[in-house]
Amino acid sequence: MNKLPLGLAVDLRNVVPYKTGSWRTMKPLNIMQTPPCSHSCPINNDIRGFLRLLADKQDFDEAWHVLTRSNPLPATCGRVCPHPCEGGCNRRDFDYPLAINSAERAVGDYGLEKHLEHKKLIPKRKEKVAVIGSGPAGLSCAFHLAKRGFQVKIFEAKGEPGGMMRYGIPSYRLPQEVLTREIEAILRLGIDLECNAKVGVNIPMDQLTQFYDAVFMGVGAQLGVPIGVPGEEARGVYTGVDFLKLVNSGKSVEVGRDVVVVGGGNTAMDSARVAKRLGANVCVVYRRTRVEMPAITAEIDEAMEERIMFRYHTNPVKIIADEGRVVGLLCVQMELKEPDASGRARPVPIPGSEAVIPADTVIMATGQAVDYDGLEVQRIDNKWISTNEVQMTSIDKVFAGGDAVLGLETVSAAIGQGMRAAEAIEDYVEGQVESRLSPPPVIYSKDLNTYYYKKSNRFQREALPVHIRLKGFSEIYPAFDRSEITREAERCFSCGLCFNCANCYMYCPDNAVKKGKSGTTYEFDLDFCKGCGLCAKECPCHYIQMTLEK
Amino acid sequence: MITASSEDLYKVEKKDLFASGHRACGGCGQALAARLVADAAGENTIACVATGCLEIFSSPYPDPSWRIPFLHSLFENISAVASGVEAAYKALKKGPVNIIAQGGDGGTADIGFQSISGMFERGHNVLYVCYDNEAYMNTGVQRSSFTPFGAKTTTTPMGNTTRKKNLPLIAADHGIPYVATATVDDFRDLQRKVKTALLINGPKYLHILAPCPLGWGHTGDLTVAICRLAKATGLFPVYEIINGKVANVLKIQEKKPVEDYLRLQGRYRHLFKKGVPVKEVAEIQEIANQNIERFNL
Ligand SMILES: Cc1ncc(C[n+]2csc(CCOP(=O)(O)OP(=O)(O)O)c2C)c(N)n1
Ligand code: SF4
Ligand SMILES: [Mg+2]
Repeated sequence: MNKLPLGLAVDLRNVVPYKTGSWRTMKPLNIMQTPPCSHSCPINNDIRGFLRLLADKQDFDEAWHVLTRSNPLPATCGRVCPHPCEGGCNRRDFDYPLAINSAERAVGDYGLEKHLEHKKLIPKRKEKVAVIGSGPAGLSCAFHLAKRGFQVKIFEAKGEPGGMMRYGIPSYRLPQEVLTREIEAILRLGIDLECNAKVGVNIPMDQLTQFYDAVFMGVGAQLGVPIGVPGEEARGVYTGVDFLKLVNSGKSVEVGRDVVVVGGGNTAMDSARVAKRLGANVCVVYRRTRVEMPAITAEIDEAMEERIMFRYHTNPVKIIADEGRVVGLLCVQMELKEPDASGRARPVPIPGSEAVIPADTVIMATGQAVDYDGLEVQRIDNKWISTNEVQMTSIDKVFAGGDAVLGLETVSAAIGQGMRAAEAIEDYVEGQVESRLSPPPVIYSKDLNTYYYKKSNRFQREALPVHIRLKGFSEIYPAFDRSEITREAERCFSCGLCFNCANCYMYCPDNAVKKGKSGTTYEFDLDFCKGCGLCAKECPCHYIQMTLEK
Repeated sequence: MITASSEDLYKVEKKDLFASGHRACGGCGQALAARLVADAAGENTIACVATGCLEIFSSPYPDPSWRIPFLHSLFENISAVASGVEAAYKALKKGPVNIIAQGGDGGTADIGFQSISGMFERGHNVLYVCYDNEAYMNTGVQRSSFTPFGAKTTTTPMGNTTRKKNLPLIAADHGIPYVATATVDDFRDLQRKVKTALLINGPKYLHILAPCPLGWGHTGDLTVAICRLAKATGLFPVYEIINGKVANVLKIQEKKPVEDYLRLQGRYRHLFKKGVPVKEVAEIQEIANQNIERFNL
């Protein structure tokens, strides 16, 4: 027997401890939960995952790979997405939500700068899929299918890919270069692209359904719908979509001195700000008030900063022309009455309030529609494509998504639909009928122990001064400082996933929490855990939860 | 006198020198505190522990939880025993070694009080740690002189009518070089105080608030949260007294009414009749206010 050290009566080195785990009625479990940011994101991006990589390792490379697992267009979304994720962020109840959108852009830009390449999950399979339209929905669907080994071909009606991102979003919001390079990276997964090929016109739909195992329609809502007032045929009158398309294709457009834009959506804001950059005085005419405007709030704010006039409660009645060229817009003042079916206040004209607004150009950004030329598919309200719960249309093996299905929605909503359609197509060709696993429950502020978080300021992006912005089409928000972005990422609460704070490890009165092999995870030693629940209570992010012992 | 770098002092230690397998109730603040103290003190330490929950739950033969030498004698004499250990080391010209006498509030404030006072007065190089759970828990929750005003114990079924004895100040008035108070929620601060004390030659006193789920009537998961409320209400001031001067007082960031603290605990339930606080609550608030004023919390 070994000689015992001074003061020791029993040899503690050979002690077999008593297993207090048998007392337990509740047991702690590490449970990964869904954070509210991902839950609110139309693409369900792993926001927490990519922010943690930035915060813990400053690893933009890996962060890009995590983000592009779901979103193939991070640099684009980081610029144009109205970021519902930030609205969901639990930090909003604490101080300010994370600047997720800016972080996404920084990661997307890093990917472009370093020429990062997407990775295939499955090398190659024999099935072929045709994708109609190369907007966000089509690109996303093609991307996710190609990653899973499908042979994908995209048919694009226009000369270049990108859909509304290319022809509808002005370059001060989304530089063409950024979009082009993100699309190139997607196509490098081995996706075929045929431009100037309009399905329904140049290529019959039957041909696609015959030759391909599945078809995805991401045709968008690319037709500008005029308001239907007399005089619309005058020169100098455009729909918002057509106007933006002309400018984005590099055509020179003479707008004159005064431009009137009709409408309150994103196309209206874009058209107004583009016209302003072409040197005009711009006035936006809207039937209701700012509160009811469907445009992204930031876009309205920026338009106001750029000294675009807003005339609310105003509705166009007639376009006034002189020798076939528009010279003014006759408008009437409106009064808001009880809400209509859309939930927005219903505008009613005030008799005798007619007035003419002088205009060299009138842009009607009041509605868009799907171009169904040569496409026979069941519709809702004769407007949007009707689909079932797995996004299949009335035609067998033809799926659809994006604006053509959703009505006017965001780029990210379209990407999300493209992604889910890709999953549905995979299930379809494999004859898989069981539904996919649904994500775990969402973590809300009430589930967190915010004692462990410190209040901090939110990352603020710097906009160019207005007078410089208006000189041309250069991007409003110059590139961000990456170290500021990693600091912002450190603000993430990591809702529902361990971030290695070690509270459980330090607080367990029974030392029943052990470090995992990697040293960054924690495990419960159920031989000794008494189930007191202290670890779960002091877990800041609700990753540890108490469950009934069976 | 203090020579270690502040980085060392603030480093959190987890060595499990007080190991799993002890028989404390789930969520026991005292078990948590004992491990934090042992880990901060390190391997070169002798623990002399008075009778009480800690001694009972940590030392059943043949599988004690201590991974450092452990000595238990009686309820009333642990400071005398620790003094003897220190004297023996001196006589044998051995050491240096950290000697930590430890006891519950009963063993500290009442039954062992004269031996502690003697140890302080004679100037032994011993750290005394009191795990204050505000009653004699091991024998079934009897009142001690650390039981706070208003708290129900089995011997004060209508609520305690006296105020808590202020031992940190009594200890400091012995003229000892270091006195501190701490709570288990802030383990970094607690371990720093243990390490600081062990660097100082002479008698030291550390008073740790250690919630007792059984005696206080709360679920084990609330141990840390209750400590935080004890500090935020002003009921448990956290400070150090270095060479007679009060120092490093922990300022309350966001002051809370005592009700927030009382309502979480079964031992105060009788102070709320149909949810409405009775007049004793106002007196407890007054105690908190006096603490806040006295220590400038
Ligand atoms: C001289 C003496 N009186 C009474 C007891 C019985 N006794 C054992 S533990 C204990 C309670 C200890 O209370 P405290 O010191 O506060 O420690 P706790 O159990 O609360 O941690 C008592 C009264 C004893 N062992 N010796
Ligand atoms: S009775 Fe109280 S002090 Fe004793 S082991 Fe249980 S919780 Fe800890
Ligand atoms: Mg006690």
